[in-house]
Amino acid sequence: MPAIFPRWTNNIPIAIGLLAPLVGAGLIFVVWYWFSPSYTDVGYRPEQPVPYSHKLHAGDMGIDCRYCHNTVERAAHAAIPPTQTCMNCHEQVKTESLRLRKVRESYKTGEPIEWVRVHQLPDYAYFNHSPHVAAGVGCATCHGRVDKMEVVEMDQPLSMGWCLDCHRNPEPNLRPLDQVTNMNWDPTQEAYDPKRDPARKRQVNPPLHCSGCHR
Amino acid sequence: MARVRTTWAAMAALLTVMGCRGNRSNEPPVHLQQNMDFQERGEAQERNDFFADGRVMRPPVPGTIAVGYLKEDDHLWRGRLPNGALADELPAGIELSAALLDRGQERYNIYCQPCHGETGHGNGPATRRGGGFAVAPANFHQQKFLPVTLGYFFDVASNGKGSMKGYKAQIPVEDRWAIAAWVRTLQVTGEASVDELPEQAQNQRPRRIQ
Ligand code: HEC
Ligand code: HEC
Ligand code: HEC
Ligand code: HEC
Ligand code: HEC
Ligand code: HEC
Repeated sequence: MPAIFPRWTNNIPIAIGLLAPLVGAGLIFVVWYWFSPSYTDVGYRPEQPVPYSHKLHAGDMGIDCRYCHNTVERAAHAAIPPTQTCMNCHEQVKTESLRLRKVRESYKTGEPIEWVRVHQLPDYAYFNHSPHVAAGVGCATCHGRVDKMEVVEMDQPLSMGWCLDCHRNPEPNLRPLDQVTNMNWDPTQEAYDPKRDPARKRQVNPPLHCSGCHR
Repeated sequence: MARVRTTWAAMAALLTVMGCRGNRSNEPPVHLQQNMDFQERGEAQERNDFFADGRVMRPPVPGTIAVGYLKEDDHLWRGRLPNGALADELPAGIELSAALLDRGQERYNIYCQPCHGETGHGNGPATRRGGGFAVAPANFHQQKFLPVTLGYFFDVASNGKGSMKGYKAQIPVEDRWAIAAWVRTLQVTGEASVDELPEQAQNQRPRRIQ
């Protein structure tokens, strides 16, 4: 009686033994690399209704972030400025510019400009700007060099792992309390020790427990 | 064999199309598992078609006042004395101190410096570009601003004047007083010699400048 399985089938277990780990590792790599928010979220830069440039306003002209995002020190939400804030200047400069047509229209009609949201945490996660700003975490740490962006983009993944990386060891990310909005302050260049800063009344204590961020 | 090669080619092509981390894109992020990412609740500054004006953040009903915001203190909220004149002193509860001036300087540099400049000469960075301002921001060292009261700066910072808009929506009231004190400080340290200032201002000179 001829053999049911031809001789080459003897190699199948070896082939599986060799290939399965490779395929498995490949799959893990694919999920780790392409399913991570570092891939899906970072670099998202929606086109905005008005070609407003942070590089021009915050970078070249050096307007402080809080001129426009004025609630960031006091509230959870960093307010996107109303049209009035733009008109403080644009009633005076570039009054004829076509790129500002929507701003002028919005000012006249009272209809807000519909800016497209860039950063958005899932609704089950709680984030609050004010304790971070009060603790001396710079805007640039979480939003990147906004002063160099023509169009705002996501610079950090905003994933849970990313939040926790900092919450476990916040010290290297802290800066003097008056440098929070300074985009040029580079933590790797300056020797700053938050423990010896007399302006700090208390040491920071970021939550690691689940209910800190999922409330 | 050809099929194996096609498979490899297809995989390589797929990986290339998928790209690397940090690629820029104006497509919204794809999240396969949405779970409870978007819940039925309003968030700050969101749109909501339930309301006629589309705003989630509801403005107060006309004629109502939030607790603590009756603003009955004319001096604090409007910079006015009981007789209606602009006050030249800080309101009760706000003390002239190094901390107040530091705060004033910081807030001035955020909200006023873009137009009026760090020293108050009216030549801030925003006025030097794009053809300049149609009406130039005021130079606080001009003769006509030296005798004005502290309350005047507070009033302009709050309600604006001429082609300048007010900042009472952006800046809390205490900070507007701190800014007013800092503008006065700039005048004292600026071109004006101390003797030219009104008596009031001389008395209010911050200690560290004397
Ligand atoms: C002149 C006003 C102005 C100034 C100054 C300004 N911004 Fe903005 N910012 C805006 C406007 C308007 C938007 C919404 C449009 C957009 O996303 O480009 C915005 C959007 C953003 C966003 C994205 C918000 C989202 O949808 O997730 C971030 C982050 C941001 N700004 C950070 C900063 C930082 C950091 C600074 C200081 C370096 C700064 N901004 C200074 C006006 C301003
Ligand atoms: C502090 C003053 C100031 C504020 C506030 C301000 N801008 Fe500007 N903006 C300028 C100046 C000055 C220019 C011209 C710069 C140049 O051309 O060099 C400009 C230029 C622009 C341009 C380019 C116009 C063109 O034709 O090139 C756009 C678009 C713009 N601003 C949008 C906005 C929006 C939207 C806001 C509100 C979020 C805003 N700006 C707030 C001062 C301001
Ligand atoms: C600890 C990290 C962190 C720091 C520091 C930080 N942000 Fe944010 N920012 C975020 C996150 C996370 C979101 C998304 C919040 C959400 O979706 O609810 C966000 C959102 C925003 C938005 C969009 C509006 C909103 O609140 O959802 C603006 C504008 C903004 N940030 C500006 C700033 C400015 C200006 C500073 C510096 C003063 C700053 N941020 C500092 C993490 C940070
Ligand atoms: C670069 C550092 C850093 C990052 C990134 C960061 N945090 Fe924090 N966070 C802090 C520090 C520092 C504190 C502590 C503040 C204190 O104790 O005064 C804090 C405090 C908090 C608190 C407590 C606030 C309160 O009301 O007591 C929450 C909630 C929080 N963070 C959420 C988040 C979330 C959600 C993220 C990610 C989207 C995040 N944080 C990312 C540094 C960071
Ligand atoms: C520092 C803030 C923080 C803390 C502490 C924290 N989380 Fe999260 N968590 C987040 C953020 C932010 C997200 C959303 C991440 C994203 O958008 O991918 C999240 C997402 C999640 C998700 C949803 C994952 C998904 O993709 O569906 C789960 C489940 C979760 N967290 C469980 C926990 C548990 C359990 C703990 C306690 C051990 C915890 N978290 C502590 C910030 C936090
Ligand atoms: C967007 C640019 C801009 C900003 C920001 C700005 N101003 Fe002005 N300011 C002006 C202009 C323009 C004038 C001239 C108005 C006129 O003469 O019609 C002016 C005039 C003034 C005057 C003189 C008013 C008079 O009697 O003629 C004072 C005082 C003043 N500003 C104070 C401030 C203070 C305090 C701040 C900060 C809270 C501030 N300004 C922020 C543009 C600005």
